[in-house]
Amino acid sequence: MKLDNTLPMEYRSEENSNRILGFWLFLGAEIVLFSTLFAVYLTLWTRTGSGPDAKEIFEIGPVLIETFLLLTSSFTCGLAVHSMRLGLKKPSMVFFGITLLLGLGFLGVEIMEFVTYVNEGATLQTSAFLSSLFVLLGTHGLHVLMGLLWGGGLMLQIRREGYTLETSNKSFIFSLYWHFLDVVWIFIFSFVYLKGLM
Amino acid sequence: MKWDEFFVTGEPMIYGAMASIVLASLAIVVGLTYFKKWGYLWREWLTTVDHKKIGIMYIIAALLMLFRGGMDGLLMRAQLAIPENGLLDAQHYNEIFTTHGLIMILFMAMPFVIGLMNVVIPLQIGARDVAFPRLNAVSFWLFFAGAMLLNISFVIGGSPDAGWTAYFPLASIELSPTVGNNYYSIALQIAGIGTLLTSVNFLVTILKMRAPGMKLMRMPMFTWSVLITNVIILFAFPVLTVSLALMMFDRMFGAQFFTMANGGMDMLWANLFWVWGHPEVYIVILPAFGIYSEIISTFSRKNLYGYKSMVYSMVIISLLSFLVWAHHFYTMGHGVTVNGFFSISTMAIAVPTGVKIFNWLFTLRKGKIEFTTPMLYSLAFIPIFTIGGVTGVMLAMASADYQYHNTMFLVAHFHYVLIPGTVFAVLAGFYYWFPKLFGFRLNDKQGKRAFWLIAVSFNVTFLPLFFLGLKGMTRRTFTYSAETGFGPLNMLASIGAVGLALGFVYLVYNIYWSFRYAPRDTTGDPWDARTLEWSTPSPVPEYNFALIPKVDGLDPFWNSKKTGQPLTEGEYEEIHMPNNSGQPFILGMIFMAFGFCMVFSWWVPSIVFGIGIVIMLAVRSFERDHGRHISVKEIKETEQRLRGEQS
Amino acid sequence: MKKLFPIQHVMGYLFSLILSVVALSVILWDMSVALGLTILLICAAVQMSVQLFMFMHIGENKSKTALYTNLGYALLVGLITIFGTLFTMIWGYQIK
Repeated sequence: MKLDNTLPMEYRSEENSNRILGFWLFLGAEIVLFSTLFAVYLTLWTRTGSGPDAKEIFEIGPVLIETFLLLTSSFTCGLAVHSMRLGLKKPSMVFFGITLLLGLGFLGVEIMEFVTYVNEGATLQTSAFLSSLFVLLGTHGLHVLMGLLWGGGLMLQIRREGYTLETSNKSFIFSLYWHFLDVVWIFIFSFVYLKGLM
Repeated sequence: MKWDEFFVTGEPMIYGAMASIVLASLAIVVGLTYFKKWGYLWREWLTTVDHKKIGIMYIIAALLMLFRGGMDGLLMRAQLAIPENGLLDAQHYNEIFTTHGLIMILFMAMPFVIGLMNVVIPLQIGARDVAFPRLNAVSFWLFFAGAMLLNISFVIGGSPDAGWTAYFPLASIELSPTVGNNYYSIALQIAGIGTLLTSVNFLVTILKMRAPGMKLMRMPMFTWSVLITNVIILFAFPVLTVSLALMMFDRMFGAQFFTMANGGMDMLWANLFWVWGHPEVYIVILPAFGIYSEIISTFSRKNLYGYKSMVYSMVIISLLSFLVWAHHFYTMGHGVTVNGFFSISTMAIAVPTGVKIFNWLFTLRKGKIEFTTPMLYSLAFIPIFTIGGVTGVMLAMASADYQYHNTMFLVAHFHYVLIPGTVFAVLAGFYYWFPKLFGFRLNDKQGKRAFWLIAVSFNVTFLPLFFLGLKGMTRRTFTYSAETGFGPLNMLASIGAVGLALGFVYLVYNIYWSFRYAPRDTTGDPWDARTLEWSTPSPVPEYNFALIPKVDGLDPFWNSKKTGQPLTEGEYEEIHMPNNSGQPFILGMIFMAFGFCMVFSWWVPSIVFGIGIVIMLAVRSFERDHGRHISVKEIKETEQRLRGEQS
Repeated sequence: MKKLFPIQHVMGYLFSLILSVVALSVILWDMSVALGLTILLICAAVQMSVQLFMFMHIGENKSKTALYTNLGYALLVGLITIFGTLFTMIWGYQIK
């Protein structure tokens, strides 16, 4: 195997850098996926039928908590990759652990938020606005959930093997995914919640 | 769900189909057992990660689907042959035109194109495999799972019946209460994920794995077309993913996206469908352009004329393809501004397409043209496709479109684009690259006979439809009265359809005959062609290139033949290859089971299979498979054997 | 300890928090819809760049051109989908 030792470990073999490029391309597809969900939401968000509208159900409190949790998790995820590159296994794993816990917290708040909506009579079936809201938020939430499973499995592998060509590559790709979810959330925060409350 | 609705009942034709499915499955099982081929099937095919074998499986599946979809088409033509025909009832007719469209576009054209892509691309760029061989197998098995799901729908539960476009509110649970459109949303979703993964795979392959010296502007035109096609797939398929998911939520979970009450917007479906749907047209047509470019250049013994303008025109087409979707529903009534915008952007596409047509013509000019079967398809493509293109410009004019909309004129138009465009191209490509895969050519004389039968019958079938459309015959209508005067032209079209069917049957005979009697090609370069794939022995060994070629211009193999400069230098080294794996196949089967349970809203088994999918992903993540190495000795022996040298 | 928290990451994090607060201003003060949307758009775009360049290290990859093309194309198609859908489904009916 040809290795280029001037690069960080996650890029070093040809397969590794192919995987990173491949994942970036996949993120390009994800951008379009979320854009389409936004297109649907922005088309339907005033069409509330007989259900509640955005101003009636949105609460800024939990949303701010979610934003804070996710921004922080993105930060710790970046730190995890940074210490991985310094060759520090332990701190890196701690940072990854914190990232996943914050992600779990985010998911918890989001589920509570959904429960509140449903208790207020705002369900997927109520109106086009709510259908598009639930599906947009739900798709993002599902991505976070997949990220938690993925990150958890990854931490087991790192604990067992340390940072090898493979695990460092996977960790870096995971970090791309996690930062991407943060970006998507920023857009949800701005153009769903803040715009809805404006 | 009542159990007596599980199987489709009450139609003699369906019983016949059920019986034939059972008999065919039994025959396969018995045959495999009798000839002791289960192990062979598993080791060589089901677990393979070799891009060439995956390509062959795609092409076999596509040919089978061609006959399935063709059968639907024949039934439609049989029903319409005479006025007030009682062969099919309205429901059955709805089902077959829906599945005809779905199968031909998504399970015939797409896999055929992707199959050729799999076979050719790594060979053309001088690579030993695609970037992610395992992922490639996953893509195939997901496509396979989707295709099987859609195909069992007509005996279990009922086929989708709201057109291949599945417009709402017709496709909603109120107006289409059978599970047919659940099949639509879930089967397409699974196949679509496979396609998306294919695009990531091939983009990385083409961007990163080209032989040394092959700059982007030295890539063969087919590789360029595939690169651009995969860009379109990458950005168009997520839209389909979302649309199908929303459809599923509407139908299965009571969401209100496309409903008529509670704020739902039925035409939003049409909008989203075509945001994906129009780029999809270019996904199946651009690789065809690439195939024609290779073939026309090879059999004119000339460089492709206007290489750069070919590339730029495809880039422009790929951008414009995302800007024209609303021309599919001008009659929705969204006003002059919208229709005006989409009218102009649609007509603009004719410009880069016209550039390509002229480039092909100039490539032919003063060439030493050799009329082989693939070349005949390519030559027939140019005028017939131009008719399709010009009628497309007619349809692009929004105000005139009110006259043509949803008539047979439109049906004739898109068949005139897709058949000479895509179908002729994949057949041409099939004849052209066949010797590379199997080591012998398909018989040329029979191939030409099949070509003439297909090309002439095609025009007999679809030319009358233009006139029927202009006379006012609408599409998707299951019968018409004698007073309309549509009878004679319909009869003519139906006669053409029979000819078309005979042509395809003859094509299969051509393949069968050649397998038995065609002489072996020992050169590896039976057409005296230009690009790298022809520098390998036929059939290609699993590692493709014993030595990676060095490229210093366009058409490197041609130059090497002319100048006598060898393409490769150096000594053999060990070659690293990926191991086979059963995981992609198993994953595909779990997806199929998951999809089937979802279609019938059986939640508990759906969740179980869903967890199964996650487990398979985890298994893959925890696996450490570093592949294997082929020794220098083995490479030497293989090369000598395939090149017919004595050791 | 210090080398675990590189200044670039810390600044990026603080910056993203500040941007969120700035975005929050659109619901705290009365302002026109146009101004509010402008603020939201700018903040979101800057946030995205913070993530891309500081955390995702897009600039360090060897196939930079491919990555930027990919991103540009994806954003273009995404925006076409959003604004094109609004154009065909809503605005088109309003323009006379």
